[in-house]
Amino acid sequence: MISGRCAACKYLRRRCPSHCIFSPYFPPNDPQRFACVHRIYGASNVGKMLLKLPPHLRAQTADTLYMEAKCRIQDPVYGCVGIISHLHQQIRIAESQLAKTQAEIAVFNSIAREAQVQEIEADSNFFKNLLPEEITAAGLRSYGYGSPSTQTFKFN
Amino acid sequence: MSANPSSSGGSGGGGSSIGGGGGPCGACKFLRRKCVPGCIFAPYFDSEQGAAHFAAVHKVFGASNVSKLLLHIPVHKRLDAVVTICYEAQARLRDPVYGCVAHIFALQQQVVNLQAELSYLQAHLATLELPSPPPHQHPTMIAPPPLSIADLPSASSMPVTYDLSSLFDPVVQPSWVMQQRPMDPRQLGGSGSLSASGSTDQLQALMARELLHRHGSPPPGTVPCSTPSQSPPLSK
Repeated sequence: MISGRCAACKYLRRRCPSHCIFSPYFPPNDPQRFACVHRIYGASNVGKMLLKLPPHLRAQTADTLYMEAKCRIQDPVYGCVGIISHLHQQIRIAESQLAKTQAEIAVFNSIAREAQVQEIEADSNFFKNLLPEEITAAGLRSYGYGSPSTQTFKFN
Repeated sequence: MSANPSSSGGSGGGGSSIGGGGGPCGACKFLRRKCVPGCIFAPYFDSEQGAAHFAAVHKVFGASNVSKLLLHIPVHKRLDAVVTICYEAQARLRDPVYGCVAHIFALQQQVVNLQAELSYLQAHLATLELPSPPPHQHPTMIAPPPLSIADLPSASSMPVTYDLSSLFDPVVQPSWVMQQRPMDPRQLGGSGSLSASGSTDQLQALMARELLHRHGSPPPGTVPCSTPSQSPPLSK
């Protein structure tokens, strides 16, 4: 039936057999798809490639062939390789930004650790300078330390 | 970069033959035909390794299609075109289902992962920079969206210059990508042309040659197409 021809058979102006290798993957509503593939690979090569593969892999094969053909038509010199090149560039940029961000985080962590160390040392010096009788809960609270308590601490 | 004549060839036509001189070029040798002066393949396929390399190209694309393609490309760009055609042909022979698209998807996945990690760390950095940080929150690692041809870079988004020195670092194996996410090339739609001008072209030319150099040492003046066994594993 002429009206049931796949895009490939329409393009090739031939009858579309019932077991046409192209028909599942090149529907008549998308003639551009087969045109691209035919222009780069040729119908014969595409048919051979599809026939060599098991049926469950042919759909993805047709899709990737279409993608490569389209890339090659848009960029006749580099085709898909141009895309690969650009992706490598994006990876380098992302890795560079990642390294920069990690360095900034490391700087912040370093500053935070230093601040903590200095605070601990300040507290330690503070306690060293207190007289034993001053080390009471009330006294400590007046300096902003500890929780309310009546317990007296004595340090020798 | 422009095509250089083969060291074994004569003038202009290069290769190893210009009709009766040093014998047929690799393409004509494979096709078992007379290599005429001005053979379009002669500068790029020498009579030794070129025949094997041309076999891959012929099997995937067909000599006639490649010839038509090269005729529409300026002469100074044809070497790069042949290099990339060889690369795609060999990728397709290694992986008949995905070809070099597997490599593209692997790289896309790598980009997505890196960007997700970067977003996470930038959010973490933002919390460190705040004077009174809000309640601790871990930015959730958003699952990368399904890859599609729409995500592919377009000409408008391309940077002007490329640093190609690390272009050939080992990349994620396509098999890992395929295990992590089923590829659905049917999502593929239009992809922007990556034809660039100026320095980008030169860098792409360098990249194209490096691609095949990695696959095998090219004889001077010929396409450094390698045999599939020498290529990095790209197939599943």
